[in-house]
Amino acid sequence: MPSVILKDTIFKGTLSQKDSITLDGTFIGNITAEEIIVKDNGNINGNLNASVNIEVNGNVVGDLNSDKIHLTSFAKVRGKLSHKNLSVDEGAQLEITAQTRKRISNLNKE
Amino acid sequence: MFFNSNKRSESNVGFSHLGEGASFEGEIHCKGEIEIAGKVKGNISAKTLRILETGKVTGHVNAERVEILGCMLGNTSSLNVHVGEKGVVRGDLRFETNLSVAEGADILGHVQKAKKDKNKKVDTEKVRYLEHNQRAS
Repeated sequence: MPSVILKDTIFKGTLSQKDSITLDGTFIGNITAEEIIVKDNGNINGNLNASVNIEVNGNVVGDLNSDKIHLTSFAKVRGKLSHKNLSVDEGAQLEITAQTRKRISNLNKE
Repeated sequence: MFFNSNKRSESNVGFSHLGEGASFEGEIHCKGEIEIAGKVKGNISAKTLRILETGKVTGHVNAERVEILGCMLGNTSSLNVHVGEKGVVRGDLRFETNLSVAEGADILGHVQKAKKDKNKKVDTEKVRYLEHNQRAS
């Protein structure tokens, strides 16, 4: 079952989650999950590490690492991005360094 | 379990939920209601805290209402405390208003009704709890 953190909640620490997490609250610390969704009121101070997808519609200060990163129009992001697939909507406020990862899956087969 | 719709979480308005696959280390402050189905190491302060059957909390808890249906290691202090039938408590329970313990609950620790001035009235509630436990066993 995915986790949901609402805006009345503050987390300080390290979270690792096997599936999806939706954040609408404040989180100080690093998150590892399959999918991370940061909503409008979400405020993250720390690194996000997702295996599949990161969607940001809130405020993030920290590094983002995922196959797919989607920054929507209300996103405010500061940090380094590492991704295979990045999409940014009109209006997003960014102060980022982005790097597209090479596909390592082919190398592993050899 | 991992791939069921993520959209379902959005209909969950009203309280925060820490899922079964989650493990968190650190502090949690919640002004509203929070449900724990995963593992938490650290202190929690909340208005309402519910530790679900799969949930495990290691640390101190401070809340207005605590429902322990899962595992709670550490001290709990709250206005109201409820321990469910599969609840496991290792640590002290301090409550100010109400305590309810379902038959089958596993508690090891000090249970006391505390007024705000921390006095030592370990009276009727504890006796009732002991009697209840006797009946349960």
